[in-house]
Amino acid sequence: MEEKKENKPQAVIEVIDFGPLKITGNFLLKDMKRDKEESPAEVKLCICGKSANKPYCDESHKK
Amino acid sequence: MEKNENQFSGGRRYKNDDITVFWKPSACVHASYCYRELLEVFDPSRRPWVDMNGATTEKIIEVVNLCPTEALAWKWNDESKNDSVDNDQLNHIKFRRPELMNSNDTEPKEQPVSVKVMADGPIVIKGTFTFIYNGTKKEVNDSMISICRCGVSDHMPFCDGQHRKAGFIG
Repeated sequence: MEEKKENKPQAVIEVIDFGPLKITGNFLLKDMKRDKEESPAEVKLCICGKSANKPYCDESHKK
Repeated sequence: MEKNENQFSGGRRYKNDDITVFWKPSACVHASYCYRELLEVFDPSRRPWVDMNGATTEKIIEVVNLCPTEALAWKWNDESKNDSVDNDQLNHIKFRRPELMNSNDTEPKEQPVSVKVMADGPIVIKGTFTFIYNGTKKEVNDSMISICRCGVSDHMPFCDGQHRKAGFIG
């Protein structure tokens, strides 16, 4: 049995009620349109369609 | 009437002289690679939506391999060629629909969860992760979900493909 050595915990994807999609843990984010790749500790992605800073949430859903 | 020939359980098949493309609509997460990359072949507004004469076999294989699910898969019509297909040909029937082929060499992968923000489309998340929605926790094991990003879906939080009609840009 091989032990998996990962510093990051397993990814957790959470749909915040009336808010963004919050992602934490071991994940790789690829933005196909803007051709960007990153693996931050946490990210909040816009899922309401209103953000002016897509793909990230900019709190526009509250307006 | 050759309808039966174009169908298999759960989907349809489309042929040219070289290959057969299998379309399994229930597996589609609307990642939109197919029609963004090759509208000449994959046009959702046309019936039938796949035109195997729209591009070269090489190009069709390239785009079918981009499909992140098993919604689109392909194989050579010449069965002997199907034995020597590379592993990176991810949507070859040998790797995607082993039940349609006598082979099952799939490799388990330990990778970070893949989160892809599709151009003008959904967020396609692939791997093993915890999914929390509406106060409910669900363990997703080596699978895929597609989250709506345009706010128009009738199946929130999941994408139902409506971003295309809605003209979502983002």
